[in-house]
Amino acid sequence: MKTRQHDRYQQTLEQLGAVVKQLVRYPDIDHFLTTALQQGMKLVGGFRAFVALVDEDAGELVIRSALGPGWDEEKRQRRLTVAQEEGRGITGYVAATQRPYCTGDVSRDPHYLRFFDDVVSEVAVPIVDAYGRTRGVINIESDQPNAYGQEDVDAIVLLADLCLTALNLHQSRLRQEALVQIGNELSTSEDLDDLMQTVLSVASKVLRFEDCSVFLVDDDRRRLTLQASSGALREQVGQVSYLLGEGLTGWVAQHGEPVRTRDPREDPRWRGIASEMPVEQIGAFLAVPVWGRSRTIGVIRVVRRRSLAPWFDNCFTDDEVEVLSAIGSQLGSAIESLHMRQRLIQTERMAAWGEMSAKAAHMIGNRTFAIKGDLNEVEYLLQQPGEVDRQELTELIGSIRRGVSRLEEILHEFRDFVMATHLSTGVDNVNNIVAQTVAEIFPRRGPVELNLQLDSSLPPIRCDAVKLKRCFAELIENSLSFQPEGGQLHILTELVDSRALPERFGVGRNRQFVHVVFCDRGPGVPYDIKEKIFQPFFSSRVKGMGLGLSIVKGIVEAHRGFVYEDGKPGEGACFHVLLPVNGKPAGDNAESKERS
Amino acid sequence: MYRILVIDDEEEVRHALLRRLQREGFQVDVAEGEADGVAKIRQASPAYDVVITDMAMENPDSGVRILEAALAHDLFSEVIVLTAYGNVANAVECMRRGAFDYVEKNIPGVDVYELLVLKIEQALERRRSAVNTLRRMEEITRRLTSSQRHSE
Repeated sequence: MKTRQHDRYQQTLEQLGAVVKQLVRYPDIDHFLTTALQQGMKLVGGFRAFVALVDEDAGELVIRSALGPGWDEEKRQRRLTVAQEEGRGITGYVAATQRPYCTGDVSRDPHYLRFFDDVVSEVAVPIVDAYGRTRGVINIESDQPNAYGQEDVDAIVLLADLCLTALNLHQSRLRQEALVQIGNELSTSEDLDDLMQTVLSVASKVLRFEDCSVFLVDDDRRRLTLQASSGALREQVGQVSYLLGEGLTGWVAQHGEPVRTRDPREDPRWRGIASEMPVEQIGAFLAVPVWGRSRTIGVIRVVRRRSLAPWFDNCFTDDEVEVLSAIGSQLGSAIESLHMRQRLIQTERMAAWGEMSAKAAHMIGNRTFAIKGDLNEVEYLLQQPGEVDRQELTELIGSIRRGVSRLEEILHEFRDFVMATHLSTGVDNVNNIVAQTVAEIFPRRGPVELNLQLDSSLPPIRCDAVKLKRCFAELIENSLSFQPEGGQLHILTELVDSRALPERFGVGRNRQFVHVVFCDRGPGVPYDIKEKIFQPFFSSRVKGMGLGLSIVKGIVEAHRGFVYEDGKPGEGACFHVLLPVNGKPAGDNAESKERS
Repeated sequence: MYRILVIDDEEEVRHALLRRLQREGFQVDVAEGEADGVAKIRQASPAYDVVITDMAMENPDSGVRILEAALAHDLFSEVIVLTAYGNVANAVECMRRGAFDYVEKNIPGVDVYELLVLKIEQALERRRSAVNTLRRMEEITRRLTSSQRHSE
């Protein structure tokens, strides 16, 4: 007797050990559930088993893993209604009552619903979490009468706890991954709209909700306004707003604490200003603050529909509050760092402005001084008695004309520099823009040999064709000016992804770019000035003000693209322009129009 | 004939100044920047009477370096600094270090070339009188020395 007991104990330990080992190794959740079922069948005996998990919204159980004979696709797909009434099935009954159930003769059982003809005994154990919610049911069946006793129920309860642990682990792993992802994606988002869309999509991966809305506090800190929504409120972005402290959402913004409720109507703070769904349908409401460095800068709120099965509590758990709060603070720091980046760019541009004004004044002053000198000479010549020296007069007029034309060049560059970031976009193929630019400015019988290699599979992108032409023209002219005695210019277009970019640009994965390369056989750019050449006034060319490459940079960056040079000094310059395929240009203005 | 060196990195400016100063009867050389200017000053024999230099060329204070080079070569060379835009602070620094004067290239309603020619005349006058003073002092020193010898 003692030996039998010992054997049984040994066996239980082995079977549970196998499950624990699987849990520790953590493959995927389905693999784990199958292992748990296999070991469960070995533990208590039986020929068929399944695990069903709860779908809270629908109030149903969904079969997730099934073992034994007789399962076909139709049976696996069947959803089990959770109800307490007779004849609705043991599994549903267990899910609703949260108590294990055991029967030795299903034909006499009031709860049994015929699923397979060969079942005689059945044991069913609920998987219940720390918040008292049913997460699923383990069900094991036997073709023997009275196959299961209390000992067997106890063993399956243990198994159910292991399943719960696995489910929790799985969920927290998913959340962890999503939070890391949100961190990465938020830090590379270029504007507020991007950020908002990222938040909505990531939140929907880690939290179950019907609808999610993001509100941000206005600059004067009086109101908070809807910035993004995944559902019904999407049409009202920018219109719906709360005073700070008004309603549940306003309260969260003012106090910096989350609010969670099953029915917003029962909360005295509720005002019913804007709702993602008719308020009587809401089964759970959660709003968390978006934290900036020192204060709340917004609110994220999510709602769930009331569950169809009244015994499923659909309210947000503590874990879920924590997850959404984590997203809230990530969003907060992303927004602040975005603002900081924008301020930095603004400051850089202001500094460039100051420097440019000084430089422009200096250059204009010099030109004017020279023109005034020439005019003096013309006047002097005309005042001389006798015949005017026409040749000298013509020379002076030529000099004045050159001076005025150089003044115009300066004005031209000045305008291009200022306008570089103001785009008027349409949809265009970069190949066409390159080809047009080349046709217009590349000298047909010049000393430089042109090699054009355009990838015909380039997708059209949203861009400002006129600005891009200016940008490509500058790069081509630049190359020509450094090869006055002749040489080569190789222009290539291709479709690449983020990996083609040097790491220093910190571009997130999975982004596509149109890559335009300009390589020549000129003197190239020394390593120590490769970055500086894009600064205003760095150019060593005599024409204009030396703004050429900074205009190129301005235009490319306004398209949210990148530009750099990586040729080998002495062998030639190699400029790379990368324009995002699915980007919304930063400098886009309202009058964008489609171009074919 | 008085010798003048014009130093400016803008070709048009050099050309306009050259033309006008030649018309005034000066012998004019031009230099394209700080380095070229310094080299020409050091090679000049006799030294230039007047050096006209732009303030900001390769460096914002190129004018100061030109001034130092000119005075090191000939203490009595006169230097006039040109400023194209708002660089008066540097020009004043040049005056403090011994430049004759500075002229702003752009003064609304003023014929700056006339002004410059006037300044050149004044600078030449100062140079002449300084050289004369020096010669007189040398003469006096020479006389004193010889009378001392006589009395011995």
